[in-house]
Amino acid sequence: MKLSTFVVLSVLAGASPTFALWPIPQQITTGTTPLRLSSGFSIKLSGIKNAPTDLNDAVSRTKGFLQNDKLQALVPDRGASSAGAVKGAKTIKSLTLSLTSGEATKSIAEEAVAEIGTRSEGYTLTIPADGSDATLQANSTLGLFRGLTTFSQLWYDLSGTTYTLEAPIHVVDAPAYPYRGFMLDTARNFFPVEDIKRTLDAMSWVKINTLHWHVVDSQSFPLVVPGFTELSAKGAYSPSSIYSPSDVKDIVQYAAQRGIDVLAEIDTPGHTSVISKAFPEHIACPEASPWAQFANGNATTNFTASLLSSASTLFSSKLFSTGGDEINANCYTQDGPTQDDLTKQGKTFEQALDTFTQVTHAALKKAGKTAVVWEEMVLDHTVTLANDTIVMVWISSTDAASVAAKGFRLVHAPSDYFYLDCGGGGWVGNNINGNSWCDPFKTWQKAYSFNPTANMTDEQSKLVLGGQQLLWTEQSGPSNLDPIVWPRAAASAELFWSGPGGDVAKALPRLHDVAYRFVQRGVRAISLQPEWCALRAGACDLDA
Amino acid sequence: MQLIQALLLFTVPLPVFSLWPIPRSLQTGTSFLKLSSGFDISLDFDNAPSDLSDATSRTLTHIRSDKLERLTVGRGANDAKAISSAPSISRLSVSLSKGATVRPIAQEAVQPLGKRSEGYSLTVPADGSQATLTANSTLGLLRGLTTFEQLWYTQGDTIYAFQTPVKITNDAPAYPYRGLMLDTARNFFAVADIKRTLDAMSMVKMSMFHWHVTDSQSFPLEIPGFTDIAQKGAYSTTQLYSTSDVQSIVSYAAQRGIDVLVEIDMPGHSGSISAARPEHIACPQSPDWSSVAGEPPSGQLRLAAPATINFTASMLTAIAKTLPSTLFSTGGDEVNDNCYAQDAPTQAELKASNQTLEQALDTFTKATHKSLIDLGKTPVVWEEMALEHNVTLANQTVVIVWISSQNAAAVAAKNLHVVHGPSDYFYLDCGAGEWIGNDPSGNSWCDPFKTWQKAYTFNPLANIPAQKTPLILGGQQLLWTEQSSPENVDSIVWPRAASSAEVFWTGPTLPDGTPLSVETALPRLHDIRYRMVQRGIKAIALQPQWCALRPGACDG
Repeated sequence: MKLSTFVVLSVLAGASPTFALWPIPQQITTGTTPLRLSSGFSIKLSGIKNAPTDLNDAVSRTKGFLQNDKLQALVPDRGASSAGAVKGAKTIKSLTLSLTSGEATKSIAEEAVAEIGTRSEGYTLTIPADGSDATLQANSTLGLFRGLTTFSQLWYDLSGTTYTLEAPIHVVDAPAYPYRGFMLDTARNFFPVEDIKRTLDAMSWVKINTLHWHVVDSQSFPLVVPGFTELSAKGAYSPSSIYSPSDVKDIVQYAAQRGIDVLAEIDTPGHTSVISKAFPEHIACPEASPWAQFANGNATTNFTASLLSSASTLFSSKLFSTGGDEINANCYTQDGPTQDDLTKQGKTFEQALDTFTQVTHAALKKAGKTAVVWEEMVLDHTVTLANDTIVMVWISSTDAASVAAKGFRLVHAPSDYFYLDCGGGGWVGNNINGNSWCDPFKTWQKAYSFNPTANMTDEQSKLVLGGQQLLWTEQSGPSNLDPIVWPRAAASAELFWSGPGGDVAKALPRLHDVAYRFVQRGVRAISLQPEWCALRAGACDLDA
Repeated sequence: MQLIQALLLFTVPLPVFSLWPIPRSLQTGTSFLKLSSGFDISLDFDNAPSDLSDATSRTLTHIRSDKLERLTVGRGANDAKAISSAPSISRLSVSLSKGATVRPIAQEAVQPLGKRSEGYSLTVPADGSQATLTANSTLGLLRGLTTFEQLWYTQGDTIYAFQTPVKITNDAPAYPYRGLMLDTARNFFAVADIKRTLDAMSMVKMSMFHWHVTDSQSFPLEIPGFTDIAQKGAYSTTQLYSTSDVQSIVSYAAQRGIDVLVEIDMPGHSGSISAARPEHIACPQSPDWSSVAGEPPSGQLRLAAPATINFTASMLTAIAKTLPSTLFSTGGDEVNDNCYAQDAPTQAELKASNQTLEQALDTFTKATHKSLIDLGKTPVVWEEMALEHNVTLANQTVVIVWISSQNAAAVAAKNLHVVHGPSDYFYLDCGAGEWIGNDPSGNSWCDPFKTWQKAYTFNPLANIPAQKTPLILGGQQLLWTEQSSPENVDSIVWPRAASSAEVFWTGPTLPDGTPLSVETALPRLHDIRYRMVQRGIKAIALQPQWCALRPGACDG
């Protein structure tokens, strides 16, 4: 309560209601003094021994943003009337970074992939109004990186001068939840590495810390897995539509240097029919209906366990997802070999699925990974899961409490709030009046109003790790990746960093700011409103 | 097992013609034909205009740089053997019919609707002998070149067609008006974005760009003699269309067979004029916008004031006379009575002239339309002007139906020309959520999203009596841009807007006489989408690529 009061006061008291930060820091105070960045503005490391390369790179990128964003203030005259104030403002010459412990023990990339719940993302940022040096302190290089991200959002451009009207600024910040993600499906349609990197850049600008990479599915298998290269050779859309081990390493490293952990998913046992291209013996009813197959039998279980072990070594994350959504029982009853296997083993389907899951999860555990699954594995099936398994809730937001009641940690990914693909019409071919199964479109306002602890006890609430918006790509590709994701996916980034309960009316001006800054940085975020509204906070509200 | 058998039947190669819109007459074979490395297009008639030479150059460039692989499993790799033994074609001969007058494409494209000649005939033999394209006008030749470009695929270094011989006899559009509307007032689009959109439109033989250039949010159109309106009413001095920008857009469009219908919406949707000319605007930027306007900001021309009528008519004359099109739109949608009821000067004018608001609107409309008719222009209006108000409209007036597809018949019943732009089929912005702020659970007013399938099944003659069908000029999909900008213009428009392009070119039946169907359209629509992407237009994927490579396999 105290924190949000703080925010409200600063917004009301500020000369400009469009304070640019997203996600809004936990604690912030601002003033009304104009301040310019010196033309020779520098960012220094103070007393940081063994500063990692990726911290120096982050500093360089921040300087690049300060020089190149050239974002004009979102006010009707785009800041022109502040010219006098800006011209007469004091200049700030440097920002000094320091670590609480003095020494950098780990790089940003190492901190970013540490076990979830153990990462230190907090920071303290102080920008005096008198032109003296700004300071940024944190307990970790990852925290310093978050602080640099905040610093780069404070500034506007007016005829070549970089300025703020809100000095002094003091920020004490840390995320409310440790998992703030975005999911991308690269199997329905393929995305080149550069699209993924651009997305990672955008994610980092709003302090998202997990890329959930739904890398393969029934439509294509673009992931080159060492020892299983036939899968991508035969299952990718084309020889150029693949992620080689060096591509994956590149993506994982690029992400980690930007504070993002990559949670890879190989969805099993459903959503795998593309494996049949290389190993038809392991897939039931391939392509009969691409959304309906499953795996069975000892050979398949062992194959899958080996595949997951090998794939998991490509990723530095402690997390790996085996998926487990939408297992189609009909596929299974129609498959002769599955029925024979079950009869031979005297098992029911559920028992076979339990065996399959135990073996595949054991393989991951051996590789040092924590398993992540979709909610059906907990709510619809009777499979044995390790206590530390993380469950993603997707079917409905109301299922989260049931998962928590079973004592599992959970990530919110509900289709009724966070699915970015909804509302684009049915994609199945000859369906003239078909709408998307999860209509309507999930607006940023809808996502922003999500309550992560709805219907949970205090104890259950502790199991909530965070959440993510998701892009399934039946109707998406590189052509519309940016516009369908941004700035909408920033909604959950703020929700899970700043905490729930935000007010959409107060958020909108800042979200405009994010969108406009993204565009300046080459990410094609869409307009949420006519520019007339973006320049006049509140004027286009329903109750204006 | 049954499912698998059914699937195998479906994946037997269907006759996947790549052409969009599909010609009204079309015969194809199954022979492969290579494009010779020295392939050229010759204009075999005298005094060919330079914009036709430019069009043939573009066609040659497209054929060589599209580098589109076939949308089949293997992307055409299985064609290698057939390609290697195929004959090569080295020439397309382009000529006008005997007696045809030679005029630039740009001139043909802006002829009055109904007087344009867009038909052509195209023959591509399978044996490598020269292909021939003939038409009655350079505009028809442009349409034929557009068809020719879509026949070719790339495999390795080879450019080839796989369905020769091709014979198209007098392919001509079912309707003359095949359009796209873009709103450049809610958010601004740079000239390059508009030109890219015109390129995409010409790929699917669209003939009209309806440019909703101004609105209450901004006035980016520079008008000679009235330059202060854009200087003060545009979002910024860099976010406006100078007179040379407008000429550049109009000529770029015309060279591509597209007429530009400029709209200055009035008397509503004109609040942005208040920045420069506050005396002419009622209820500008009211803090209580919802009581005086459909959306923020409010502001309408003071239609009852003689000074405002004179100002508006002069402004229309000043812009319309610079434009080659014979069409010009004065809009006329969503006039808000309450805005005028609250405006003291308007009430005083009404009282002084002893007019009702409707009578004043009639006076305003007659005067503004007269300024257009005096220039030889045909006025275009939104449907309310025909159906909801008692205003006098000239017989030739073109009415765009937008509120509901069901209103077209009522417009035709008044003997006015109809362009279909119904929100229930053709609005490209629907389904993306409410854009008004502080409304967390709001959806778009015209939910749901209008899919390409929905647009494709539109019937232009529904409930139109036979004797009124000549009044139906065609139709268009529309992008209102409250939630759009250069960042998503390609992806929200394409390939969806190609749906109506085919409906209004091809008409109700395919060349084999069967009705248009979404099943047979989808593989071709994938094709034009992938080709657009190759040309730098960010058209979206309609399905997983798995489906795009397997026609029919993802049908329900």
